[in-house]
Amino acid sequence: MLAFAQSEPRGLDVFNKSCATGYCHGEKGMPGGAPRLAARGFDDAYVSQTVRVGIPGTGMPAFGTTLDRADLLAVVAYVDGLNGVTPPPNPFAAGPERRRLAPDAQRGRQLFADQVRAFARCSSCHQADGIGIAVAVPFSLVPENVAALRRIATPEIETATFEGDSFPALVLNKSGAQTKLYDLKTLPPVLRTVPKNSVTFQSGSTWRHEAMLASYNDQELEAILVFLRAVVSQR
Amino acid sequence: MKIRWLLVTSPLTLLSLCGQDGATRADWPSYGGTHLAWRYSALDQINTANVKKLAPAWAFQTGDFDQGLQSTPIVIDGILYLSTTHSQVFALDAATGKMIWQYKYPMPRAGGNIQNRGLAVGAGRVYVGTYDDYVVAIDQKTGVESWKVAMNDSRQCGCSITAAPLFVKDKVIVGVAGGGAFRGYLTALDAKTGRVAWRFYTIPGPGEKGNETWKGDSWKYGGGATWMTGSFDAALNLVYWGVGNAASDMYSANRYSGQGEGSNLYTASVIALDADTGKLKWYYQEIPKDVWDYDSAYECLLIDREVRGVMRKLLVHINKSGYSWVLDRTNGKFLGAYPIVDYHNWLTGITEDGKILGRVEPVENKTTLICPGPDGGKSWNQVAYSPRTGFMYTPTLEICSDLMAREQEPVEGRGFIGGTWNHRSPADQPAYSHIDAYDPVTGKRMWSMRYKYSLLASMLATAGDLVFTGDPEGNFFALDARTGNKLWSFQTGGGHRGSAVSYSVKGRQYIATPTGWGSIAGRAMVALWPEAETFRPGSTLMVFALPEGAQ
Repeated sequence: MLAFAQSEPRGLDVFNKSCATGYCHGEKGMPGGAPRLAARGFDDAYVSQTVRVGIPGTGMPAFGTTLDRADLLAVVAYVDGLNGVTPPPNPFAAGPERRRLAPDAQRGRQLFADQVRAFARCSSCHQADGIGIAVAVPFSLVPENVAALRRIATPEIETATFEGDSFPALVLNKSGAQTKLYDLKTLPPVLRTVPKNSVTFQSGSTWRHEAMLASYNDQELEAILVFLRAVVSQR
Repeated sequence: MKIRWLLVTSPLTLLSLCGQDGATRADWPSYGGTHLAWRYSALDQINTANVKKLAPAWAFQTGDFDQGLQSTPIVIDGILYLSTTHSQVFALDAATGKMIWQYKYPMPRAGGNIQNRGLAVGAGRVYVGTYDDYVVAIDQKTGVESWKVAMNDSRQCGCSITAAPLFVKDKVIVGVAGGGAFRGYLTALDAKTGRVAWRFYTIPGPGEKGNETWKGDSWKYGGGATWMTGSFDAALNLVYWGVGNAASDMYSANRYSGQGEGSNLYTASVIALDADTGKLKWYYQEIPKDVWDYDSAYECLLIDREVRGVMRKLLVHINKSGYSWVLDRTNGKFLGAYPIVDYHNWLTGITEDGKILGRVEPVENKTTLICPGPDGGKSWNQVAYSPRTGFMYTPTLEICSDLMAREQEPVEGRGFIGGTWNHRSPADQPAYSHIDAYDPVTGKRMWSMRYKYSLLASMLATAGDLVFTGDPEGNFFALDARTGNKLWSFQTGGGHRGSAVSYSVKGRQYIATPTGWGSIAGRAMVALWPEAETFRPGSTLMVFALPEGAQ
């Protein structure tokens, strides 16, 4: 009971900022754009699970990846309280403490997915640490330094010709009547499905990874490498 | 002090409309009917004299019912295209309802802002936005995916695509939805290849004019979502789009710089962009320093009407504030504004040059009763316009809210509202809604129909002098476009949150309406009307026609 009493102000604060936003739940668990949460007969296990992983396919997002552990515990305890439930002494709501990136890796993460660069950012084609669009295969190696990052060769990218238009293409699937490929002529890459017998390929392309790095300077690329070393399990 | 000034329209105006054609005929080719967004069909086989014989022709259950069915069907050459909440797309025989193909987008593995309001068709493809921020093009004949491209990382921006894309010339133009910490934009894609042709950020970046209206880094997270569908004037080659509120919605101290003209540009504005290049031609900020979440994302009705004796190309635009703005769509000049709600206490009036007087703003950590509330004097469901009556038909809500501002830090992928609200009735009576017919230029209310819950379905006007819409209790009904008298009603078994259309196949006129309850504003009704908790979700397209031989 002591734990609950201590966490309540924090839980209330998290609830008000993350849950009671008008579009979603109402204050004190009253109905808003999302359902009522007060006096619903929820138990701690249900509340914990739902706050952490959300409800797929509905408006209820997963807060397990965006709230830190203490905030998660506090907001679950608050919603438990709205249902007349006291959280158990060893709540499992938050799971293990989330890994925290070192400041330079965190800066690299921000640069990797920098919204300000529009499509000219790593995350237009790569996914790491749960962000980005997985056009390229998952990282298995991180280049030693910025020079190596710039030199990355991409023999797998071919030149496709379709409807009189030639463009660099990363082919996913040539078997079957339809060919699936990423069109890399412009950013962001477009996943296109074209009839197999209407597209021709030549090996190699004019596409260069280095050209995709143009929005970053060396120092920024180094920070991105630090981030990747921190999150990629290298094989 | 309340300034509500009337513009003078002469009866001759309606006779001089022949230059502009915003009517649909056999097809319903675009979200708003045509690019002018009239939601008006020139078909008149079903009319005031025979509408009482209107009967179901067929129905189609999509099976994808969470959030209800909020879509606008598209009909081209006897085939009806329909999208559902999770971006599932169906092609149906428009005369029989028989399914021709189905496109199954992967179901989401997470929760989020998951709703879908329609699609676009053109250049042999069907285009739909997705809950995870992709645009997908589907072969119109086969239902096979043609291309797919990510507009953003939905986990990072907390954004999605809920609105129908707009097909313009050789491009697909698509907006973005979300109440998160991100920077809004409008994107045009090449219809054939899916390659980005242009992108317009609704918040100017450093060095661009308008960026000075943002404090510090706030422009990076300032909102400005383009979460509904715009319009297009082919003669002017301009695309018009409504831009949503600034973020955080209610707390402005961290985003309002006090510098430059306007504030937090181009949020709470209507923008006009060159259709080929995406370059800004003009903008008009309806609500400088929006702190009420009044948005401005709704539809842009394009009509040519006489204003003070001069024929003008107009853009009529309602936002959540309960006011309708009348702009010159050639240059964005303000021509007038009039209230569409009975209860509005957030201002005392709007001056002849568009300035808002007597603002009542939400304050930090304390509630203020403000009408209308952030659900709006109108929700996103669309108006209709009939060139036969010259009236605009508008669904209007009378819901106030206790608003509170709260300071909030922007966090990637998370909501960024900066406050909260609780729905309240107007001071002296229960909340209600109404359908009105307006002179769209002067704001003169020609007739009104009152309803006890929120009306959240779009209006459809036809040359049979009928206005169709549905209510949350499941009734789909027809009103006399000139008088508002209810002429016909049918219980569809599910609440209405979508947009009805009309089309014809082999000379037979059909009226098609989505049914099935859902959406944020739909669920929020429970706070005012507890019995609304019993309204059921669903997702059925109901199609009506006159019985064979009764035409």
